[in-house]
Amino acid sequence: MTGRARSVPPKASERLRRLLVVVPYLVRHPGTSVEEATRLFGVSERELLADLDLLFVSGLPPYGPGDLIDVDIQDGRIWIGMADYFARPLRLTRAEALAIYVRGAGIAAVPGLDEAPALASALGKLAAGLGPEALGELPERVETASAGGEVEMLGELRRAVEEHERLRIEYYAASAAETTDREIDPEEIFFEIGHWYVVAWDHRSDAERLFRADRIRSVASAGDRFEPRGLRGAGRPLYTAGNDDVAVTLRLDPEARWVAEYYETVRETELDDGRLEVELPAGRLEWVERLLLRLGSDAEVVAPEGLRGRVRELAGRTLERYA
Amino acid sequence: MRRAMHPLERLVNLVALLLESPTPLTFDRIREKLAEGYGQGDPASAKRMFERDKDILRDIGVPIEVVAVDAWDVEQGYTIDKASYYLPDIAFTPEEISALFVAVRSAGDPSAEDAVRKLLSTSDEGLLAGIGAGPAGGGRDPNLGQAADAVAGQRRVRFSYRSSRGERSERDVDAFGLAVRGGHWYLVGFDRGRAEIRSFRLSRISGAIGSAGEGSAPPDGFRAADHVRAGPWGPGEPETTATIAFSPEVAWWGARDVANAEVVGTRKDGWVEFRVPWQPGESLASWVLSFGPEAEAVDPPELRAEVVGALETLARA
Repeated sequence: MTGRARSVPPKASERLRRLLVVVPYLVRHPGTSVEEATRLFGVSERELLADLDLLFVSGLPPYGPGDLIDVDIQDGRIWIGMADYFARPLRLTRAEALAIYVRGAGIAAVPGLDEAPALASALGKLAAGLGPEALGELPERVETASAGGEVEMLGELRRAVEEHERLRIEYYAASAAETTDREIDPEEIFFEIGHWYVVAWDHRSDAERLFRADRIRSVASAGDRFEPRGLRGAGRPLYTAGNDDVAVTLRLDPEARWVAEYYETVRETELDDGRLEVELPAGRLEWVERLLLRLGSDAEVVAPEGLRGRVRELAGRTLERYA
Repeated sequence: MRRAMHPLERLVNLVALLLESPTPLTFDRIREKLAEGYGQGDPASAKRMFERDKDILRDIGVPIEVVAVDAWDVEQGYTIDKASYYLPDIAFTPEEISALFVAVRSAGDPSAEDAVRKLLSTSDEGLLAGIGAGPAGGGRDPNLGQAADAVAGQRRVRFSYRSSRGERSERDVDAFGLAVRGGHWYLVGFDRGRAEIRSFRLSRISGAIGSAGEGSAPPDGFRAADHVRAGPWGPGEPETTATIAFSPEVAWWGARDVANAEVVGTRKDGWVEFRVPWQPGESLASWVLSFGPEAEAVDPPELRAEVVGALETLARA
């Protein structure tokens, strides 16, 4: 060790923060399994055991055998005694109190969430329990603006996810602008930027796919169970690049800049004339054609070749409805 | 020589000691009681170590206080007030705490996760079976904490904002409320530069939200959500209605994203007509166009003309 080593490595404060949260739980839930504790507190087994290892040499003066915290780990279960002063957790910091309230309120607003009533009452108890000194004006000032419809299939999809049930669905894929029948193994349902998604194994393409729940027209059991493959839902990018992706390059007027916020881009360049040049990866071009129909003169196609012609053709076909 | 105490052990012991001590303790007393922690080396370096430990404790939210222990204010003592250390018990049902757990998990916000883990321990009940910490969510809107702080404390804030058209400007705003719409968070407040209530999408705020002192109270009857309204065609208060027809292919979902869309009826050709809120001058036409040949603007005539005009331009391009 060097002479100027820090007496407290940065990790010690992180570990203390964690310990003051984990220990109260273990005191109040005697016999919690190591596995459950690691899962609930997002900590590895090695880290948890190392923390508990230091805990049982800690306690109160004079630090005799009867003063030290009692940590007992047997058959993968944990008991902590002689630590009544750690039987309740440290209060929430202001940042924690605000974060849990506002994140909870945001999710409670999600249409079709089964947990919404329980979440609403939890937030009420939280506001009452923590009081205005922690949350200030916040509970009165967080609201939801309605953003449209319920997702009819959500309940059935959730049940299928829980029971590992293979489903036959009728799905409208916006990327290809067509409805198809598919068999899917749904593994997780999650909410991201205003929409519910299902991550599933798609037997039609024999690949992992994301499905927007409100674009699933019908759901029926395929009469089979499946073995989960561990597909990840929450937090994943909504667009997965494919080998056949085409790079679409567009120049956007200010009115069309929202495109860069709404879609995944691989490149954004500010142009001297005030326009934004974006490159979007696209597995299919159908959705890009419709996007361009919508943008009209606010967007200019740079690449790929042939896209302008396809938009022209689509505009002509759409005009026939007004003939 | 006695072994040097591990820093984590020293910190745990210090918290326990100050929590359980009925009276404030001077540093000399702490040094005496926690000899393995602070008793080694010279008093000055031990004091420095103690000061650093104290900062760590404050940093993670331990309310350690310094008080005078004699009438002449010469000696200082350290104490942790139990009432402000402990999180009050909140009797959550397993359903409630599980719902909080699920909510926080999908938000991917580390502060919120720490909070729910603390709350788990305030109740003797556990979580519902089958609820666990899975992969974290997207963690979007990292400045939500700052915005919530401003609203909670009724603060005035400054930040750099990029409008949907890409124009940047500095804003000076009295924070009134937060609203979530379509998965996006908005800060609503009185924009001092523009002298009116405006809403700001958090994802368009670049950099930090800086505090600029005391704000002001929102007007009576203020609702943040009233200031964040938009249809798929963009922001604006709908004033009248338009009729849109969708092909059977898309009719079942086409109007789902529109709050207050009403079915008018199904035509002989199988197309379904919907009445949707509309304000002349707003870009409902572009929304209709996004459905390609699967949608038709039926009424009013000016909307129909707008759609046809846009299509003719594109078809000739």
